[in-house]
Amino acid sequence: MNKELKHDFPIHIFLIILGILTFYPFVFTIITSFKDNFQFIHNFWGITWPLHLSNYTDAWSRISRYILNSAIVTTSSAFGVLAIASISAFVFARFNFPGREFLFLCILSLLMIPGILTLVPAFLLVKRLGLLNTYWVLILPYISGGQVFAIFILRSFIASLPEELFEAARVDGATTFQSFFSIAVPLSKPILVTVAIMNVLSTWNDYVWPLVTIPDGRMWTITVGIVSFSSQYGGLEMWGPMFAGYVIASIPLIVLFFFTMRYFIAGLTSGALKV
Amino acid sequence: MNSMKGNNKEKGIFREILNRRECYLLILPTFLLLLTFNYYPAFSAIYHSFFEWDGANFIRFIGFGNFINLFKDPTIPLSFLNTLRLTIASLLINLTFPLLAASLIFHLKNLRYAYFYRVLFVIPMVVPAMVIFMIWRFIYSPTTGLLNQLLRTIGLGHLARPWLGDFDLALYAVIFVGFPWVAGTSTLIYLAGFQNIPIELLDAVAIDGASTWTRFWRIELPLIMGQIKLIVILTLIGSIQGFVNIMVMTNGGPGEATMVPGLYLYRNAMYYNKMGYACAIGTFLFLIIITLTYLNLRYLKSGVEYQA
Repeated sequence: MNKELKHDFPIHIFLIILGILTFYPFVFTIITSFKDNFQFIHNFWGITWPLHLSNYTDAWSRISRYILNSAIVTTSSAFGVLAIASISAFVFARFNFPGREFLFLCILSLLMIPGILTLVPAFLLVKRLGLLNTYWVLILPYISGGQVFAIFILRSFIASLPEELFEAARVDGATTFQSFFSIAVPLSKPILVTVAIMNVLSTWNDYVWPLVTIPDGRMWTITVGIVSFSSQYGGLEMWGPMFAGYVIASIPLIVLFFFTMRYFIAGLTSGALKV
Repeated sequence: MNSMKGNNKEKGIFREILNRRECYLLILPTFLLLLTFNYYPAFSAIYHSFFEWDGANFIRFIGFGNFINLFKDPTIPLSFLNTLRLTIASLLINLTFPLLAASLIFHLKNLRYAYFYRVLFVIPMVVPAMVIFMIWRFIYSPTTGLLNQLLRTIGLGHLARPWLGDFDLALYAVIFVGFPWVAGTSTLIYLAGFQNIPIELLDAVAIDGASTWTRFWRIELPLIMGQIKLIVILTLIGSIQGFVNIMVMTNGGPGEATMVPGLYLYRNAMYYNKMGYACAIGTFLFLIIITLTYLNLRYLKSGVEYQA
């Protein structure tokens, strides 16, 4: 035990320094979110009393709408991706049909297409379809784009399931749908959760697409909302509520993270991620 | 004879396709969405890069006109130079700090602490990137910003400046966002690489009495080459097309000091209505990304697979 600590000690020092540097801005944000302007100016670094919880109610009244919008869009997109990608991944993994390899390559090749290339035509397309300022303008492209990586990950997982299970189901007269819902889905649960979380993370963080497709302030997502909110409060020098808003905006994903940590780290550290 | 055989074969394929119609039906939603929101816009972008186009009624074929204009436009070399700087900085950052952090965590003997640090460095990843940008925008702000306050507190007040408004420093200020850059995907990907190194191999090296340094360079690094390649590709793609950080921190300013191609594309499309020109910038970026990804996959030394 002592030997272990002796070996680890210098490593701890390094990691703790990295940890402090990483977390200090967040700690500062939380401390400042409870201050009024007087406290902010006269005690910039320290914790001050009393804590001004009204900063939070103030910020919440401004950004709750954006959080709701983001929650609706993110959840719908994640479920959409899971539904569509898991069926396609199942078909690509467990069936042989003419053109299978070619069609799969068509999907994979999309991983090479950068978002910046498609931005302008995609915007003009949704504008022509009359989708601007709706949830659909976010949800449909998010499902479409999100399923590419999801199919890629899910296919290799479903392909690794033992064929005997599916064979047995077929012998018992199970339909394709039955073997999908009663074998593939239950066995893929962990990877499905991982895919959903990675999807949530990227849609929740997206900025440019909602910025161009949602001109109406009431429909903004949290990323677009927070920038405008930040400029407003910054301009008015209302630091406390501004930082309270940052904390509120971070809470939904942090809560999600604490409930799904295992899947989250599993997804990002899976051996599949290398070239 | 031959033609009959071919005919039969064709019939065979059609029958096969008909038999398998359920498969096609099930993957239809995937392809309907992809055709609408991914393939069509991608082809449309490349196609319209050869047109002068306002996005609506006015459209005129100008061949390579947009691409020729790219080379005449003074903003283009400036923005590409900025992207080059950002990309190199981003590569240097992603190949050092997260690798150091992952290697430190991996070499902890106490596994519970290793797990603790791993979770600790994942938490900032779930803080929305936009919140992090906003916090850093505050850190850099001229009067009340954290950085200038810190400099004043430690008696270096003369160094205080509007970091994001400084022609020479703005780009470096943007690069510095997120310091010390250890909380992110890169650290986790490296860590996964380290964890895939077979334990017997590391034990054998330990018995041979190799120094930490030798072990790192000769054993560990070659074995995580697959992860390094992935990070190089992700970093290249991210920094060549990314512009959200620039957009919300400096919006390309002061002047055009921090302009990047992605932001310039966005402006041409959304402010100046030059959709064709924007598509040409996008196509150009696409070609660069494709080429770099190909070179990376082809020439960067591939991961060594350890076989027991």
